Amino acid sequence: MPQIAHVDVNCFYASAERAFNPSLEGKPVIVLSNNDGCAVTRSPEAKALGIGMGDPWFKLAPRAKEWGLIALSSNYELYGDISSRVMELLGRYSAWLEVYSIDEAFLGVKGSPAELLAAGRSMKAAVRRNVGVPVCVGIAPTKTLAKLANKWAKNNKAFAGVCHWDSVPASEREALLGRLSVEEVWGIAGRLTRRLNVMGIFTIADLVRADPVAIRDKFNVVMMRTVLELQGTPCIPMEEERIGRDQLIFSRSFAKPITTAAGIRQVMSVYGQQASARLAKHGLQAKVLTAFAGTSHFNPKDTSYPSVCVPLPMPTADPVILTKAGHALLPRIVEGVRYARAGIMVTDLRPSGNQAPLSLFENPHEERHIGTLLEDVTRRYGRGSIGLGHGGIRGGPDWTMKRDMLSPRYTTHWDELPLVKAA
Amino acid sequence: MSVIVGPRVIDAGVSLLSVLVSPVPVAAGFPSPAQDYFDGRIDLNAHLIKDVTSTYVVRVSGESMEGAGISDGDELIVDRSLEPRDGSVVVAVLDGELTIKRLRITPTGVILQAENPAYPDIEVPALANLSIWGTAVRCLHHV
Repeated sequence: MPQIAHVDVNCFYASAERAFNPSLEGKPVIVLSNNDGCAVTRSPEAKALGIGMGDPWFKLAPRAKEWGLIALSSNYELYGDISSRVMELLGRYSAWLEVYSIDEAFLGVKGSPAELLAAGRSMKAAVRRNVGVPVCVGIAPTKTLAKLANKWAKNNKAFAGVCHWDSVPASEREALLGRLSVEEVWGIAGRLTRRLNVMGIFTIADLVRADPVAIRDKFNVVMMRTVLELQGTPCIPMEEERIGRDQLIFSRSFAKPITTAAGIRQVMSVYGQQASARLAKHGLQAKVLTAFAGTSHFNPKDTSYPSVCVPLPMPTADPVILTKAGHALLPRIVEGVRYARAGIMVTDLRPSGNQAPLSLFENPHEERHIGTLLEDVTRRYGRGSIGLGHGGIRGGPDWTMKRDMLSPRYTTHWDELPLVKAA
Repeated sequence: MSVIVGPRVIDAGVSLLSVLVSPVPVAAGFPSPAQDYFDGRIDLNAHLIKDVTSTYVVRVSGESMEGAGISDGDELIVDRSLEPRDGSVVVAVLDGELTIKRLRITPTGVILQAENPAYPDIEVPALANLSIWGTAVRCLHHV
């Protein structure tokens, strides 16, 4: 019976920064969300200061100096590369790898308890050594238990970062489950917790004892699976690489509100090109594009949430067509309203070149490889060096993401390589 | 946040390292006699990078390694997966900074050696007291 290893990077963003800037070691570090909004990653030292997940930066900034707190903007180029290195390395331990998020993965593993433990320790050591970031590993018969084992490995130093569930004495496991709230279980959050509490289910041990069928009747099949998984029956299958992903979304809050259709037009141009690049990268074409914009939820007056769904004339990844489709939103933009975000979503995705369109419907831009050309230039001269119309302005229009405290993109940009001192 | 779907080789910035050795194109009309022999250009990534997960490129700042042919502004290919040995050129963490030195492991202790008489060596009681970030495998020296 194969088991499942859950591997995730400790404080991923902060750890990626520390890998290239060892002076951050031992100091309170937080990484901020898009537009330097709020803390999304906190080093243990930052947690110890009482900084909460999602605390807004403007509230922390005045005390940062006194605390010695270091805040960094999200360096997605760096995190993306570090993530892909971690995943590639983990892939060497199992052909059965599911990348669950940027910093965590499930792996199918086989072996005796001693071998599994050794494999977990080897993964941990290899990621630390090769890539330079710390991970913890939980190994168990099911995904839900593997997640739990990982959390345990993180919180209990005795495990040294690797917990093999079945190797832990049953009495200790039961004591843990009796101590932890159901909230600690993968997939169970606020509202569900309250409903479970009403039924007298408070700890994970309570939930393990519950009748899966009764749980299904009260909740749904998803919750039943969770119970079965906690009991040791695998119910959540390993997912293969999601090639048939069905949508891509490009959306972001603006650093400052946009109040004109001309401004939104610019946004659409940029996202149209980003969508094109992403589709091309995955060898996909889209059939439908949805463009949307919205005012801030914190601004109850002047609300406006225009949205338009545009069927594309043929499956395409052409930046010109995608951008034009996005412009269908413009007539619905109310001038003067303060839009806080906008975006596009492409759906009904299919592999490009699956069915050759009749030449009559072949797209003139695709024929001239505009998408590939834009991509080549971008790869060579950096993001924002070329673009269609409103989208290709270096330095960025003023609504682009605010990243005032950005570290160098150490591993993806030749001009920003880490410096080593020869002194 | 986007999900990274698959592994990716070291990115664009680094793969500038590719050299053209393709046959000279011939005039239109005749097939090139060389075309059957062309298997692609030399890919420096393939030759210089043994393990993409553990290899990083860093840039040197300073003159202390001149004696080893490593100059200010040179790029180094660093492989973190290698076991540093006596004589390795290593990137070590010193006072929170990445520093390049020659590693000397002697019976009496460990020395981080500069390759320039103007810079002092640094003595460390044991390898365990030292944080080695990676081992340099190539220097991309600007000539």
